[in-house]
Parts: sequence; C-alpha cells; structure tokens
Amino acid sequence: MSHESAMAIQAWALPVVKPLAELDDSELVSAAADGSRDAFDVLVERHRRTVYQVCYRFVNNHEDASDLAQDAFVRAWRGLKNFKGQSALATWLYRIAVNVCLNRLSAKAPAMETIDSTDHVPDLRIEGAQHAMIRQERAAAVRRAIASLPEKQRATLILRTYHDMSHQQIADVLGSSVGAVKANFFHALANLKKILGTEP
Amino acid sequence: MTHLSPDEFIDAVEGMLAPERQAHLASCDVCQRELAGLSAVLSDAKQASVPEPSPLFWPHFSARVRTAIDQDAPDAGHWPSWMRWQVLAPLGVAAMIILGLMIAVPKQAPVDSVAVQAPEAAEALQAPENWAMVTALVGTIDLDTASAAGVIEPGVAEQAVLHLTAEEQQELTRLLKAELQRAKS
Repeated sequence: MSHESAMAIQAWALPVVKPLAELDDSELVSAAADGSRDAFDVLVERHRRTVYQVCYRFVNNHEDASDLAQDAFVRAWRGLKNFKGQSALATWLYRIAVNVCLNRLSAKAPAMETIDSTDHVPDLRIEGAQHAMIRQERAAAVRRAIASLPEKQRATLILRTYHDMSHQQIADVLGSSVGAVKANFFHALANLKKILGTEP
Repeated sequence: MTHLSPDEFIDAVEGMLAPERQAHLASCDVCQRELAGLSAVLSDAKQASVPEPSPLFWPHFSARVRTAIDQDAPDAGHWPSWMRWQVLAPLGVAAMIILGLMIAVPKQAPVDSVAVQAPEAAEALQAPENWAMVTALVGTIDLDTASAAGVIEPGVAEQAVLHLTAEEQQELTRLLKAELQRAKS
C-alpha cells in the first residue's frame, strides 16, 4: 500500500473533530439540541452580552436584566429542538428575550436604574470630567425615558435602534405588521422627544 | 399636499422616503421641524449605551445559566429517561410470569383448615382453569426470553417441576402430551 493510500484511509477512518469554539452557531445548535451542554455553553458565551443588553434596555437595571437574560437562555435551551434555522440564532434569541421581558413587564413595574449600573467610569485622560458627566447623565436620562415607554414602542425602538433588526423581523418578533412597527417606532421617538424635552 | 404620515416620517428618518414625498418635505416647514426633532432624539438614543457590567459578571452569568438549566425540571408530559421499551418489555414479561405463578401455584392451606376441607379436591377442581390461564399468559414466552429478562435462571424450570405435587405433575404431563399431539397434527 502506498503512503498516499494509507493517509487517505486514515483520513477517512478518523473524522476530524473541531473544538466547540470553532463551530458556527448552526453546528453548535445542532450539537446542543442533541444534548451537548458544552455546545450550549459556547452559544451562551457568544450571545450573552447582546441578550443582556436587550433585557437591560427594557428594565433599565442590572439585577432584573441579568435575571431576564438568564431566563431567556433557559427558554432557549428548552426550545432548541424547535429552532429550525429560518432566522439567525441571534434574531431567535432576541425574540425569546423580548418575550421574556414583555411577560415580566406585564407582571411587574420596571425598577429604577441602580447607582452601580451608572457607575461606568469615563477615561479622564481623554475627555474632560465635566463633559463625561454630562454625557453620562444624558445617557441615563435616555435609558430612563426608553424604559418608561409603552411595551410595544419600547420593544420596537430597542430592536430597531440597537440591534439593527428590519421592520419585518420586528413585526415577526412582536406578532404585528410592518405598518404597526413603523407606527410604534414613530410614537416611540415622538414620546422620547416629549419626555427628554421636559426632563430637567 | 398633506403632511407626512408616521410611516413616512420613519422612512424619512431612515433615508427611505419616496421621491414624490421628498418634494413635499423640501417645501414644508412643519414636516421639516418634526423630522429634525425625531432625528435628534434617535441620535441621542443611539449614543445611550448600556453600562458594561463588571468583567467578573460574565463567567458568573454563564454558571448561573448552567445551574438554572440543571435545576429546570422536565415537563410533566415527558417520560422519565428510564421508561424505555428496552426496560419495560422485560419487566412486563416478568410481571406476567409472576402473576401467572401467583394464580396457579396453590397456597399452603392453614394447618387447622386441613381438617375442615379436602384441599386436594378443591385444587383439583381449580387446576384446569389455573393452568389454562398460565398457559395463556406465558404461552408466547419462550425460555430464552424469560432468561434474557433475568426472570429465570438456568435449571430453574427443572427444579420447579421437581417441586410440583403429584396432581400438578399429572396435569403438566397431560398438557405436554396434548401439546405434542397438537404439534404432530
């Protein structure tokens, strides 16, 4: 047997196993749906920040946002077998996170932003302390204003502005029409303008 | 011409307004002011980032998700993992054999009742029905299946025959002969 033939047989007999971190989302979803907890851990690691951010913008505080994000991932684990890959995994996760947030909001009034969550220390070497403080206060005011919007307006604004979802994708997530999404987006911006214009 | 609708304002904010409505926007101060206000607030919103949690938060979060999934009870509609046909089939076979034996094997009569009634006569009356039931229950199970199910150990059948009473051995012989006759014909 030639060396090449031996190598070919060896390559056939020993399938190459890629490390989980090198697999793409669809491969990880498939492995996780077959019960691989390690594969799901990698998915959590990849998407935890964006899912957390969706939740944070809804509730405007770290504690609730981390609880909601955790709940979203638990639901994602339960529903992995139903994920057929029609949309990107991130979009599917956003949908779960938004539904978790909407369910929670309907049961509980949003909490105020905690002190530690605004405790983002600006780099004083680059920008003046006063300018950084004004920017930080403005950002906190905007987050508060967003968190006070009606649920559908809030969801639409968050998904469109921060997660770059199309109107159609948002309509799918919220179970509404593109027209309703555009109307909600318009009213969200109009309400924000009103709230921020009157806020000290 | 009418002012822009909410849909059209969103299209304008996103740079997708139809050309014919662009003409109105260019000539309408009211719509221009409204659009400028919406664009400004959208710009504000885009700059409002979410505060970054402590770097220690993320590993802690992943661990929390893992624990929550571990503690997540399976739905009530799901069967426990051990409830599979590979387990249930031998258990079913074993249950049928045990049930058959419980019905067929005559109970030891209490010592004081022996004098009152004749047990041999009563058993003799019941024996055909009992054996018929046992035959029906275990008729489709061969020794290998029962052995594979862990119900019967090698040599158990021979030992069981030795423990039968004279009447039971007689009945067994009759059944075996009848079975042989049926097999021949």
